[in-house]
Amino acid sequence: MLTKIHHVGIVVHSADEALKFYRDALGLPVTADRVIEDQGVRGVLLQIGDSEIELLEPTRDDTGVARFLANRGEGMHHICFESDDVAKELEAAREKGIELIDQAPRLGLAGMIAFLHPRSNHGVLVEFATPIEGQHGH
Amino acid sequence: MTGIGATHIDHIVISSNNSEVVAETFRRNLGIEIRRTMSRPGTGARLAFAKLGDVILEFAGPPEPDPAAEVKARLWGMVLAVADIAAAVERLRGLGYDVTDPRPAVQPGALIATVKSGTGGVPFALIQYNAIPHESPAGAAP
Repeated sequence: MLTKIHHVGIVVHSADEALKFYRDALGLPVTADRVIEDQGVRGVLLQIGDSEIELLEPTRDDTGVARFLANRGEGMHHICFESDDVAKELEAAREKGIELIDQAPRLGLAGMIAFLHPRSNHGVLVEFATPIEGQHGH
Repeated sequence: MTGIGATHIDHIVISSNNSEVVAETFRRNLGIEIRRTMSRPGTGARLAFAKLGDVILEFAGPPEPDPAAEVKARLWGMVLAVADIAAAVERLRGLGYDVTDPRPAVQPGALIATVKSGTGGVPFALIQYNAIPHESPAGAAP
């Protein structure tokens, strides 16, 4: 069951530049800041209420995030729904015939995650996440 | 106060050429309950709303979608709730950001201000509820 919006992902040219607004001006606390090598991104999570904002800065040119930035520029990239069981959500989506990007949950900045293909939601990229106990406050 | 005193993401806007179809797809695919549909006063834009936790998902589209067109949607923008919009606007302007004056929002009693720079390409606004006195019309939903 999807319980809340875990985060919204925003693709930016420079996370440091975006942090001037989201962290320094808005005052949102950073809960995670990590380069995810296999995805070629630096991800920064900032807490806002019961959800988070995720800044995504590509660290290589050959990734989906880099292509998004090149084709569309900075902006909102995906929406992540929190679930208590991401594997169950993925299985339910598969049974409905929804096209998946991830065939199985994998470790991401938000915990165990999986992405649906944007074609399944008219172009909107949707992520499921089940936070891992003790990970950046969740 | 550190920052602008934002309390939560108030809503996230998903823009499309057919909001009802997109909202129905999210309901079917994700099990999200669509709580309300309406036409935006003034523009006639068709809106549908869902709520997860304290965040509203707003599906926005044109008043008269072309039923023959391929339906396309995208994440568009977001609005943060603040306790004191005047103080938030003053702080952001003091830091050099371009922010509009607070103006009445569609939501009764609320004020909204648009942040026009520094947001990483995200259409972005601040909203304060119960900012101006209002009478709640009977049956109005949040």
